[in-house]
Amino acid sequence: MRRTALGALTGVIALVAVLLVLWPRGVEAQPQTAESTRYRFVLTPSSTKSGSTTLDLMITDLAGNAARGDVTVEPAMPRMGHALAPITAAPVEPGHYRVGDVGLFMAGQWEITVSLSAERVVIPLLLT
Amino acid sequence: MKRTAAILLVVLGAVLGTTGPAAADGAHVGGDLHVAQSLGDRDLTVIIRRVAQVPGPVHVDVVTHAGSPAGEVTLTARAAGAPTSSAKVVLGATPGFYAGVVHVDRAGPWELSVDEASIPFVIPARVSSPWENATYGGFIAAGVLLFLALLAAVLGRPGLALVPTTGVVVAMAVAATAALLSPVIPPVAPPGAHLDPTFDNVMNPYERTPVMDFSRPPVNLVPRVDGHDLVLDLTDGSSGRPVDDLLLHDNAFVHLVVVSPTGGLRHLHPVRTAPGEYRVRLKDPERGTHAVAAEIARRGGGVQLLRSSVDVTGNAAVGAHDDVAELVTEVREAGRPTTITAKFGERDLQPWLGMLGHMIVVGPVTDGPVSAPIWAHVHSMIPPRPGVPDQPDESVAAYGPDVPFTYSFPLPGRYLVWIQVERDYQVRTVPAVVDVPAPAGGETK
Repeated sequence: MRRTALGALTGVIALVAVLLVLWPRGVEAQPQTAESTRYRFVLTPSSTKSGSTTLDLMITDLAGNAARGDVTVEPAMPRMGHALAPITAAPVEPGHYRVGDVGLFMAGQWEITVSLSAERVVIPLLLT
Repeated sequence: MKRTAAILLVVLGAVLGTTGPAAADGAHVGGDLHVAQSLGDRDLTVIIRRVAQVPGPVHVDVVTHAGSPAGEVTLTARAAGAPTSSAKVVLGATPGFYAGVVHVDRAGPWELSVDEASIPFVIPARVSSPWENATYGGFIAAGVLLFLALLAAVLGRPGLALVPTTGVVVAMAVAATAALLSPVIPPVAPPGAHLDPTFDNVMNPYERTPVMDFSRPPVNLVPRVDGHDLVLDLTDGSSGRPVDDLLLHDNAFVHLVVVSPTGGLRHLHPVRTAPGEYRVRLKDPERGTHAVAAEIARRGGGVQLLRSSVDVTGNAAVGAHDDVAELVTEVREAGRPTTITAKFGERDLQPWLGMLGHMIVVGPVTDGPVSAPIWAHVHSMIPPRPGVPDQPDESVAAYGPDVPFTYSFPLPGRYLVWIQVERDYQVRTVPAVVDVPAPAGGETK
């Protein structure tokens, strides 16, 4: 009886270990922060997979107040020497901008240049 | 006892005998090679198809373009300088694909000669990786040991059976660990990308080298005119020796752009005629100093741009074979991305050099292209098709009609711009002039 229980326990432990190792983990897109002299830019991609992506942008000044103005996003892929045409980000609410359907068509290192008036930051984005 | 040992040996032999094909089941390596070659009066693309097996055939497609004279070229496969097989390909007057087959007998570094041009290429060997060997070997060993344990139990020696049983557990652990880790172990670089390919390192790509930085010194370019040909001598910037390790990048070994004094553009792909020597025919050249720029990639990584100039004693009138397309431009100030879209009307463009379109930028021009500080080569890419490793070849005439480019002109001023696409096996060149304003208020980029 004791032996059966021990066997069952071993089996359960082994199963849990296998599940822990093999459980598929999605790569959660993390917000990326960059600061210029006046603003703080936080970029959150909808996914870290290549393909069509939505970029979410929170832009505040360094005191934390929502920024206003026209925001442009320029994606480029340095390894391919390839730049996409600049896209104007649509404001959702003050300080919150969104760019939908950005064709980041290839896996690898991308650089997203975000500009608001004269302030420009480059945010690296690694797609798998 | 003797009988048992004999049975064991037979079983072991049977099991080990079947491991060969399983271990050799490596991943597919290599793909089609597309090599643009400006060979004499012909503009060719030589496509070396993926080699399925060695010894075996290598299928070669020679793609001719509009204006290529009909005739015959000889393909020769060479290993270590010794020719092994050759074939003649008769090129017709209509542009398109002409096929030839040569034979190779082993994996390793090879050279394909097309008349006087020689194209070095590597036939990769199918080698199973160490973690594949560990996985297959572990499972096979577990099977054999399991059999031994059963045998010991059947023969009434349960104590002895414990030894192979422990072995089963160990072998399974090794196999499972190797199988679980294999997706996160980075693949080795394709043979010939970092190290000079040899028969040894192609057969054993997993051999470790102590080298981590594979980059090589920069290259000196000396152009000279030899009869109707422009000859480029490439020498190592540190040792002065000929540079003979150019990698194929964007479907050519050398992307040579020659701009004539009146602003005519040629985008050529010189052929390798000797170590460090590349040669290209200049048809009907103008007289004067031509600006020359070559894009090359040395083994070990990195593309470099080599600029120079050459005096040509031609007497041709200004070349007037330029094409037209509707250009939609959105020019921004220097340092900001400018977009230029060429509209070609019909959706029948072919990939050229693996791209939908090319844009050559030279400027700002004050006293000619030779002294222009900026020289750029911008691409319009073909959308990648997930899961299809091989690029489409020129027979796919289904791209366009709009060819977009994005380029941040670094300096304000007047730039000469040429947009190149392929249609009906002919490279179309659309020249344009772009005036880039200075940034407002003295802003920097």
